Amino acid sequence: MKVLIILFFPIILIAQTGKEIALMIDKKRAPKDLTNKSRMILTNSKGKARTNTMVSKSINKNKKQIIWFLEPKDDRGVSFLKIEYDDRDDEMRMWLPGFKKVRRISAKKKGDSFMGSDLSFEDLSNRELNYNNYNRLEDQIVGGKDCYVLETIPKMEAKSSYSKHISFIDKKTVNLLKENSFDKRRKLKKEKEFQYITLDDYQILKRVFVKDIPSQHTTEVIFSDIMIDQGIDGKLFHEKNLKRIPRQ
Amino acid sequence: MTTIMGSGIRFLIMDDDMMKMLPKEMDSKLTWDAIQDEFGSTEIIFIAFGSKGKTIYSSQALETLWSLSEQLNGLSTVDDVSNISTATRIDVIDGFMEINDLQPSKNLTDKEVEKIKKYLNKNLNLKKQFISQKEEYFLTIIQPYDIIGLDEFRNDVVSIGDSVLSGYEIHYGGTAYVTGSVPQLIREDIQSLIKVGLLIMVSILLFNLRSFPAVGMVMMVIVLSLVSMMGFMGWAYRLTGSDKFLFALLNTSMPIILLTIANSDGVHVMTKFFREMRIHNNIHDAISSSMHALLIPIFLTSITTIAAFLTMISSPLEPLFGYGISISVGIASAWLLSSILLPAIISLKKWDQYSKAIAEPSIFEKLIDRIGFIVIQHPKYVFAAGILLVLFGLTGLSKIKVDVNVASFFKPGTEIRDSMDFMDKEMSGTLDLRVRVEGHIKDPVLLQKMDSLQTFIEGHEEILVTYSIADMVKQMHRSVMDDSLKYESIPEEQEKINNLFTMYSMSGNPDDFSTMVTYDYSSGLITALSSVISTEAVFSFVNSTKRYIDKHFDNSNKVDVTGMIVVIRDMVILIIQSSVFSIFISLILIGLITSLFFKRVLWGLLAILPLTGAIILNFGLMGHFNLSLNHITAILSSIIIGVGVDFAIHFISQFRNLSRSINPTQLSSDVIQDVGYPIILDAASNMGFGALLFSAFIPVQYIGGLMVFAMISTSLGTLTLLSSLTELLKNRLVEKGE
Repeated sequence: MKVLIILFFPIILIAQTGKEIALMIDKKRAPKDLTNKSRMILTNSKGKARTNTMVSKSINKNKKQIIWFLEPKDDRGVSFLKIEYDDRDDEMRMWLPGFKKVRRISAKKKGDSFMGSDLSFEDLSNRELNYNNYNRLEDQIVGGKDCYVLETIPKMEAKSSYSKHISFIDKKTVNLLKENSFDKRRKLKKEKEFQYITLDDYQILKRVFVKDIPSQHTTEVIFSDIMIDQGIDGKLFHEKNLKRIPRQ
Repeated sequence: MTTIMGSGIRFLIMDDDMMKMLPKEMDSKLTWDAIQDEFGSTEIIFIAFGSKGKTIYSSQALETLWSLSEQLNGLSTVDDVSNISTATRIDVIDGFMEINDLQPSKNLTDKEVEKIKKYLNKNLNLKKQFISQKEEYFLTIIQPYDIIGLDEFRNDVVSIGDSVLSGYEIHYGGTAYVTGSVPQLIREDIQSLIKVGLLIMVSILLFNLRSFPAVGMVMMVIVLSLVSMMGFMGWAYRLTGSDKFLFALLNTSMPIILLTIANSDGVHVMTKFFREMRIHNNIHDAISSSMHALLIPIFLTSITTIAAFLTMISSPLEPLFGYGISISVGIASAWLLSSILLPAIISLKKWDQYSKAIAEPSIFEKLIDRIGFIVIQHPKYVFAAGILLVLFGLTGLSKIKVDVNVASFFKPGTEIRDSMDFMDKEMSGTLDLRVRVEGHIKDPVLLQKMDSLQTFIEGHEEILVTYSIADMVKQMHRSVMDDSLKYESIPEEQEKINNLFTMYSMSGNPDDFSTMVTYDYSSGLITALSSVISTEAVFSFVNSTKRYIDKHFDNSNKVDVTGMIVVIRDMVILIIQSSVFSIFISLILIGLITSLFFKRVLWGLLAILPLTGAIILNFGLMGHFNLSLNHITAILSSIIIGVGVDFAIHFISQFRNLSRSINPTQLSSDVIQDVGYPIILDAASNMGFGALLFSAFIPVQYIGGLMVFAMISTSLGTLTLLSSLTELLKNRLVEKGE
């Protein structure tokens, strides 16, 4: 019996609980600021596509983010400012060059779509660790990579539009590679895929692909011209800066 | 043989999806298909619920509405649900714009309910769509997936509606609901009335034949040929898998038509046998003599009727192909059964030649003697009277109206009609007409034109509300401009319109506009809801809208008007065109076959004469009495041809037979006596289908009424027009007869 305990002890020691895996993700190193150009391709179930190109600057793990639209031509000059707060509703403002006005956008519903994409504001926000329950499921290999499989069940206070998420996390890099999200009726709502590049030891997203299962609508976001830790000033995240597209 | 054939009944598939029978290449169907493809199905069901005299603005009613939306959204047949609980609101708060759910949650406080009410009173177009005029009912619009059969969709929605809305007054409407409900309701209605018709038929046969076994034998021919026909259809579907052999709404008239034809065959054999029994006093001789006289006319009537029905295979409507083939098999079966099985069965029974049935003439036989006398005495007057009647019919042909509006199928007072009337009176109407506009939808000039077109459409008295992406642009514009009413307009610069859409997309749902504009903004849809209008009003609406479009839109924008009622209207026109074509070809074929068989063109012309007269008279009377033509009543011509040709050929055949042995002065009288009785008995017993007059459906009532008239016109057409003409031409006919 003793032998057995000794033999198994090291395994028990290194086994992660669901919460610990979530903590690892939360504590993952992230750059102080991030600048990138993104190309978002929205495709409906009939194969018709819309493409947007944007420049984004963010700090604090995207808690403060400003986006300027470059393409399509119709939307050039439109810009968007988002500031996430822990204790109150997020603030979102938009610059409409045609009207020369800044308008606030409602952020009350986390499940609302972001810019007609399959990503909701909830998908783009950081998950509050204490607002969810975590269960570790059996490990799986995804794309040749050994992965933790994590079940995340949002608590009431999360005000989530999902009933659960099943996430596949690369054990080596702690990168989220794949995630399936389920709606309140526990039906599969979205399938998400993520790809990364390594920049200065940071794992930075380079591609996100989301498929909305009921509507068969897809969103692909490809990030390019990525720059990190450029020393972006927090004062940039003000509505007066929405009106002018930066030179990057 | 019948057993093998009949065993196919288990493969017979009832199919109530009316859309399946539409020809795919029809213009309005193509536009309609394009709309379904771009904007999702436009065949919607409306559910209104509430309580009369009570405001609908209550937390309880909104909670029910929320549950209704949740449950409907959970159905696999439902693509989209629109009502207050799924709508969005655009507010300007503290100078900033917010897009949010109109009903934020299932359970609301009184303050939240009041907030919804206030918002709707500010946005009357939205209110008109979802709230009744007296604020007593909520309206929900449900859109199916376009691949779903409307009957299945209707059943799903009604089942949820009935369970969630118990305790409320519920009204259903919309073309999808009515179209999904009608085939099943009509079929059930016809099935029950056919039983009554059969009962009347049996009673009339019994009253005249005065013999249960004789009536039983006639009914045996009818039932077995029906079994063969339905079984064949089942086998054909099983073996070919073709939708052409599905039993659709149009096929409902098949059993009635075959009943009348099989009845005719059976009655001719039975009455002839009784007459021969009086002469021969011997069953074998009577059967032999009867069949000697009848084998050829029964064969000839069958083959001509089959030829007439086979013309249906050229119809653009798929079910009519299967209809023509299957009913031809049924007719062939009735021919074989009455020519082989019926005489065999008759010979098995020991008939009492002194029984009343055989020894004494029936009431109809006595009546026919009287008709015969009149015709012989006054052939010119009888012929002239017949021609006058036909001329009277001719004048009515131009007055025939086409009405395919399913709403007019129901009598006022029926549940479905009351619901439709309710929707028209209290809500925004349920008849949807669509205008598809192709072009760059973000272009302010095009949006302005769409807005003006909506104003023009709303100028039609029957149109109660219209909506399109132009309304949304106007609403967004107003919101962005600090909720100022003067900005409820289409912005003049495209950049502003672009900004409005982009702004909306930041928090609105990507599908919010999917029923109004395509994903790439290359085409938009204007929806107009109207009260129930006649097909004539649809024609007028479509034509005036098209004229407006031609005047105000240039060639760069393709604009089409459609809607289910427009598609069905075009379908009925096709049915009528194919019916007219079918009538002409049938008459030519009947004339040709009869001419070839009797080796004389004159006989062919005489065979089609009473038939043509009856068709003109029937359709003429429809015009005179304002009975509208639709996809159900258009089938009537088949009944007339199917039965009418039988009468004419029996008459001609007997005329030729007797002309060889009887004095010409006595000839017409004897022919009328011989075939007149079965013709009158057949016609009278078929009139049992007058029971259809008691149907809840107006077109079925028309069929009942016209069926009675068709029997009178075809039988009298033969016994007056044909008999008076043969009497007038008898010297020529007898001289040249071989």
